[in-house]
Amino acid sequence: VEFRSSDVHNSDDYPTVAAVKHMSELLKQATGGKHSIKVFNKGALGSEKETIDQTKIGALEMTRVNISPMNAICPKTMVPTMPFLFRSVEHMRKVLDGPVGEEILKDCEQYGFVGLAFYDSGARSIYGKKAVKSLADAKGMKIRVQQSDLWVALVGAMGANPTPMPIGEVYTGLKTGLIDAAENNVPSYDGFKHYEAVKYYSRTEHSMAPEMLLMSKVVYDKLSPADQQAIRKAAKESVAFQRKKWDEQEAKSMAAVKAGGAEIVEVDKASFQKAMGPVYDKFITSPDLKRLVKAVQDTK
Amino acid sequence: MLDGYTRLCAWLSRISLVAAVLLLLAVVLCVQWQVVGRYVFNDTPTWAEALAMLLVLYMTSLGVAVGVRDAGHIGLESLVMLLPEKLRLKLEILIHALVGTFGFLMAKSGWLWATMKWNERKPMLPVPEGADYVPLVIAGGLIVLFCAEHIIALLRGIEVEPAWN
Amino acid sequence: MELTVLAITFVVLLLVGVPVAFSIGLASVATILYAGMPSAVVFQKMVGGMQVFSFLAIPFFIFAGELMLYGGIADRIVRFANSLVGHVRGGLGMSNVVGCTLFGGVAGSPLADVSAMGSVMIPLMKKEGYHADYAVNVTTHAALVGALMPTSHNIIIFTLATTGIASVSILGLIVACLVPALLLTICNLGAAYWVAVRRGYPTRGDFAGWGEVARAFAAALPGLLVILIILGGILSGVFTATESAATAVLWALIVTAVVYRTLSWEHFLKACAKACKTTGVVLLLIGISAAFGYFMALYEVPQKTGALMSAVTQEPWLIFLMVNVLLFVLGTFLDMAATILICTPIFLPICVQFGMHPAQFGVMMLINCALGLNTPPVGTTQFVGCAIGGVSVGTVMRTIWPFYGALIACLMLVTYVPAFSMWLPNLLLK
Ligand code: NA
Ligand code: NA
Repeated sequence: VEFRSSDVHNSDDYPTVAAVKHMSELLKQATGGKHSIKVFNKGALGSEKETIDQTKIGALEMTRVNISPMNAICPKTMVPTMPFLFRSVEHMRKVLDGPVGEEILKDCEQYGFVGLAFYDSGARSIYGKKAVKSLADAKGMKIRVQQSDLWVALVGAMGANPTPMPIGEVYTGLKTGLIDAAENNVPSYDGFKHYEAVKYYSRTEHSMAPEMLLMSKVVYDKLSPADQQAIRKAAKESVAFQRKKWDEQEAKSMAAVKAGGAEIVEVDKASFQKAMGPVYDKFITSPDLKRLVKAVQDTK
Repeated sequence: MLDGYTRLCAWLSRISLVAAVLLLLAVVLCVQWQVVGRYVFNDTPTWAEALAMLLVLYMTSLGVAVGVRDAGHIGLESLVMLLPEKLRLKLEILIHALVGTFGFLMAKSGWLWATMKWNERKPMLPVPEGADYVPLVIAGGLIVLFCAEHIIALLRGIEVEPAWN
Repeated sequence: MELTVLAITFVVLLLVGVPVAFSIGLASVATILYAGMPSAVVFQKMVGGMQVFSFLAIPFFIFAGELMLYGGIADRIVRFANSLVGHVRGGLGMSNVVGCTLFGGVAGSPLADVSAMGSVMIPLMKKEGYHADYAVNVTTHAALVGALMPTSHNIIIFTLATTGIASVSILGLIVACLVPALLLTICNLGAAYWVAVRRGYPTRGDFAGWGEVARAFAAALPGLLVILIILGGILSGVFTATESAATAVLWALIVTAVVYRTLSWEHFLKACAKACKTTGVVLLLIGISAAFGYFMALYEVPQKTGALMSAVTQEPWLIFLMVNVLLFVLGTFLDMAATILICTPIFLPICVQFGMHPAQFGVMMLINCALGLNTPPVGTTQFVGCAIGGVSVGTVMRTIWPFYGALIACLMLVTYVPAFSMWLPNLLLK
């Protein structure tokens, strides 16, 4: 069977797109050409939210989405989204490869999704027309956020003015001064050409919300155990490939934005970290979530 | 009995249009309030955009349904006009039956999504995600009723009068 | 095979006379059932298609256009246009073109334009001895410029149709359309003048002087300011495109109800009701086209069309010509919004591949679709014009050629000379 997998990124070589294509090759080898995956990127089949729902009812076999839109569906996915939770990229990878990552993937099953793998999405930072060196600099800034309660609370906790806006309007908004700043990872800062509009990329690294690869439970349950194992194994094996691609992409984008005149600003992260208490109080409410957050913090 | 049905449909269409107008004005106010909040209070009301998007769905669905009753949707009617009277009547009944079928499917799918997504909360609003799909149920239901009214009117040889122009 | 089902059901339903939006919807349902997938996806795509924040600008621009239509702005614009060019040969024809262009700027829709200006100008022209077909053709062609003006909701529809293919900002396209709008007006003036000379239409008195021009301009100014509010508001960063559209509604209300005092309570309600119905029609079409687009993506129609076209030729000019011809053919059957939504994903990638800027493609597409508005069997602007003028579509079609000629000249210039579309955005937005 040729499974269909969706992705919203435009580039045919974007790390998540390339990773699922790579997984298709692995799956083809493992099943002797019986199964493969076709990637529909550029949001051709719909937004992340839409493809999640299509996957749930089995109209689509697989979808690759950011973890944020899963927050409303599967509570435990909230944990890796939390601000300043991971100490470093290495810490994040270790946690997601370990028991905490497994528990979150497993948790999605009761909601109709087989969680196959986590992919990297780097760290998100604030970029704007002025440098943000510490918490005090963020005060009162109009910062664009995605339409999500968590992101509004996160930016609000910094003392800034969170302004929800669709991604398509951000470039013009930054350029005309309608908003002072936005926040995203380096490849997006590069890909959306936002560095042409504002040049200070301040490394707050406030969230490392990863990407997820999900399969429809309806579809998965109809497969033979051997095929199920082959799919899980191929997905896990594609993670290393994705991370390598991601690191390359990040380095490439970093070089591109610097060449385009962007300035990378180092940040007093501790000042931000201290302000995040209210965000944890608001979103990490159940004992399960508290336990998971603690488990992440305890992972050395 | 049939006249009563016509009166019911006329009343439903009028109510829908009044509601749609109120919703339209509310959507304008939401977006204006966002501007005021951003400049006057330096505190962008984060619910405004989300609410505007939700209300516009309800407004559109009502507008779609009223459009069906008032024959407001654009089609290739000029070709139908060329047919002889009797065949034309049959074809017009078929058209309304097809539109009604679409309305039925719309209501059915709307119900499916609304119930499936009733336990997820919408971002920025204290409302379930499923609320996005309720307009499909309302509009689909109204379309079925209005198409039935049109078919009955065609069979009786009368015209459906728009409720409010 | 699924594509064949999609195409055949769509065409058959359309020919039977099912409204376009429902034809698209039913064809999509038939296709998805044939493919063995749940039909609920069609309706999910429909809701998703309506739920794009920038789409809010569409009901706003439609609403503002309706308020302008009922609020007596047209009369003042006619007076201003008359004071300016009324004394030239075929004077009323010329002022008609100027007036339609200006009203198009505030209402941003060919249909509102032809309704408002047509109902003032066409009877006036007939009374002064112009032929009805001339009056109608001048009005319906001049009205098309509304599709290129900053308040045009079709601009928003196009920018959103490009999602995932290319990034075109709403502001970028609004600015790109300005010079072509002027070009189209000049072409229209040329055609109107040429026919007036050939038919020996009279001149209409003398030039009333700059004093009268200034007075008429002052009277028309509050209405015309809406163009400035939208452009200035977005360019200066005060508003997003959506917010500027909501402000246009507020401004239209203030001008018609407070400044001109021409909007009665009854007219206000009429404008509201009409705006809701039109929004329903337009947004349903947009939503259901998202389902159509889903199938095209799923079955890779754009890639296949692109491969087919580049197999035929590698000459950019020939590709652009083919795209224009295909757009025109589809545009004769479909309404403007439907053509934009269905054709952008198919033709934009290939045109970009052959070196056209996405914004230039947008301008080309808007003008091409505008041509379709005056072409039967589905020519909404033309139908309204004919209804006001009391003539048949056939009569109007017999003498339409000079006006088509002007429009096609404009279309070709925009297609083959990128500077018309790109010079101003490059100047203002860099
Ligand atoms: Na408009
Ligand atoms: Na047409």
